[in-house]
Amino acid sequence: MSGLNRVRPLRLVWFVTWFNVRMLLTSEFFILTTFITPLIFATLAFLLFRSGGGTAGQTLLYVALGSGMMGVWSTTLFGCGGAIAWQRWEGTLELLVNAPSRYDFILAGQTLGTVVLGFYGIVATLAWGVVLFGMPIEASFPLMLPFSLLAAVISLGALGMLIATTFVLYRHANALGNMLEYPIWLIAGLLVPISALPFWVRPLSWLVVPTWGIEAIRGAAIGARPPFGPIAMCLLLAVVYYLLARLMLVVVLAKARRDATLTLQ
Amino acid sequence: MSASAHRPAVPAADPVFAIEADDLVRSYETHTGVLRRHRLHVGAVKGITFGIRSGELFGLLGPNGAGKTTTIKMLITLLLPTSGTARVMGYDVVRETQAVRERIGYVFGGDRGLYDRVSALDNLRYFAELYGVDPAFQQRRIAELLELVGLNGREREKVEGYSRGMRQRLHIARGLLHDPQVLFLDEPSIGLDPVGARELRQTVRSLVESGKTVLLTTHYMFEADALCDRIAVINAGRIVAEGTGADLKATVANRTIVEIETFGATPDAIERLRADPEVIAVNSDQREQSEIFLVQSETGAQITSRLLAALGDTRIGKVIAREPTLEDAYVDLIATTGEPDERSARAASVQ
Ligand SMILES: Nc1ncnc2c1ncn2[C@@H]1O[C@H](COP(=O)(O)OP(=O)(O)O)[C@@H](O)[C@H]1O
Ligand SMILES: [Mg+2]
Repeated sequence: MSGLNRVRPLRLVWFVTWFNVRMLLTSEFFILTTFITPLIFATLAFLLFRSGGGTAGQTLLYVALGSGMMGVWSTTLFGCGGAIAWQRWEGTLELLVNAPSRYDFILAGQTLGTVVLGFYGIVATLAWGVVLFGMPIEASFPLMLPFSLLAAVISLGALGMLIATTFVLYRHANALGNMLEYPIWLIAGLLVPISALPFWVRPLSWLVVPTWGIEAIRGAAIGARPPFGPIAMCLLLAVVYYLLARLMLVVVLAKARRDATLTLQ
Repeated sequence: MSASAHRPAVPAADPVFAIEADDLVRSYETHTGVLRRHRLHVGAVKGITFGIRSGELFGLLGPNGAGKTTTIKMLITLLLPTSGTARVMGYDVVRETQAVRERIGYVFGGDRGLYDRVSALDNLRYFAELYGVDPAFQQRRIAELLELVGLNGREREKVEGYSRGMRQRLHIARGLLHDPQVLFLDEPSIGLDPVGARELRQTVRSLVESGKTVLLTTHYMFEADALCDRIAVINAGRIVAEGTGADLKATVANRTIVEIETFGATPDAIERLRADPEVIAVNSDQREQSEIFLVQSETGAQITSRLLAALGDTRIGKVIAREPTLEDAYVDLIATTGEPDERSARAASVQ
């Protein structure tokens, strides 16, 4: 039987995405990170916001979306980077890298699975806000919202993939992953508006994709104008990150073959 | 992505050897120390050459650390050789990775490399996809393989509940999904109970009967002898003997083995035995209470009294003189070809 095919990338990516979602859902730690942490973030944010005297529905929504996105970012870091560390430990990383299928498709599928699950965090945060804090649900541009979400998912996925490539290379990339968690919350304006940050941080904010992801979503939910700009930036950065990730992979996989970094040994 | 760019210009037509290695060398670089970093070169494989014909079951036999896994990893494109070349089905393992990967299956010993929290069926479906098995054939192929490795009926159970032997058989099924022509089995029977190991050997045999080329590594002489058409003994990164089990046995055929059980033997006892001019080799087997010396000579059983005399007042237990076995041939080879650890000698301080 010669069933080998390299012409079904979409099927492959879809299959890996689905498998990865199932695998992630068997991990207690992942479930905790993805399903519980956003609720804790949201609760803290709502309480802080209240004690500051705020009540306006739109501002509440602004806060809720930000803390939801914080959860998505944590999930992305854990699911993309951590999953590679896990596979190395489990002994499956070598099998995946050495399979006849293109590894960048496999990685893309894994990343997509993670990020899609992560976006559940936003939904959960909104529901939490409605139920516990009486947050009104309204959207300035309801028709734009799905596009904003999609752009954010795609762009975070591309970034997740780029992060994952460093985990393929370094056995101890965990430290890097942890280091990236909180700064991005700040830089991307998830915790406080970017306008509240020092001026020199802005260029950094523009380079990281969660900034535009949250801009796009907030824009559709509570913005004054449709968020075409942020959506375009999400897609543009996604392409840049994806190309960078592929470039990195070529380097990383060559180095892994030379330095034997795919196993624990 | 890089791999598919290296499609061979001319597909190798019917190569004589399914697997050929030509002076393969591989060393690892490791670091020790925290403040003063020392870079160590570990020579794992030091120039090995062999050819395996299509349909052959070839055994790479050697003790732990001999370089078996490293050799396999170079052949399956996971590791780059430091120098030397190798081909699988005529394709170069360094440059034509895609073509090689499509044609090989491999199984590492031990129980890692599976997704424990889902079923065997899920594992196989996942890898079938990654190995590019045509979706139209996947179901039939998976059913065939479950049958072949004897896991049919258990495929819906989670892998975490599987025994060692079942996991190993699942690994083999995984390695065969895309119907590869060449199969690499790295210590497949490690950690299996005797029944599991026997069943596994049965499976391997049936694979060879169905026309596959198999390279199997093991550190059990009897396993290599029972299974393999040809055996290469590898020690400290070099092939030190090659041939059929009978060929290897012939190297010690005219020897006699005297087994002497001793209690509380002093460290110099073995040296005193070796001092006898007619003794060819002495190996020691440390037991819980006793130490057994295995003395090889061509003198026959009559050397026994001299050996006992050499041991002086050491307490002696059972003494047996017997014909050599394959195991003796192997032990002798390993004992006489090993070399001192090279790591410290080659350590380079790089700070
Ligand atoms: N990733 C690695 N880094 C450093 N040394 C290694 C690595 N893998 C194997 N070695 C060393 O190379 C030698 C050969 O190992 P290996 O090929 O695993 O032998 P075998 O499979 O025959 O037991 C051993 O000394 C081992 O310690
Ligand atoms: Mg080994």
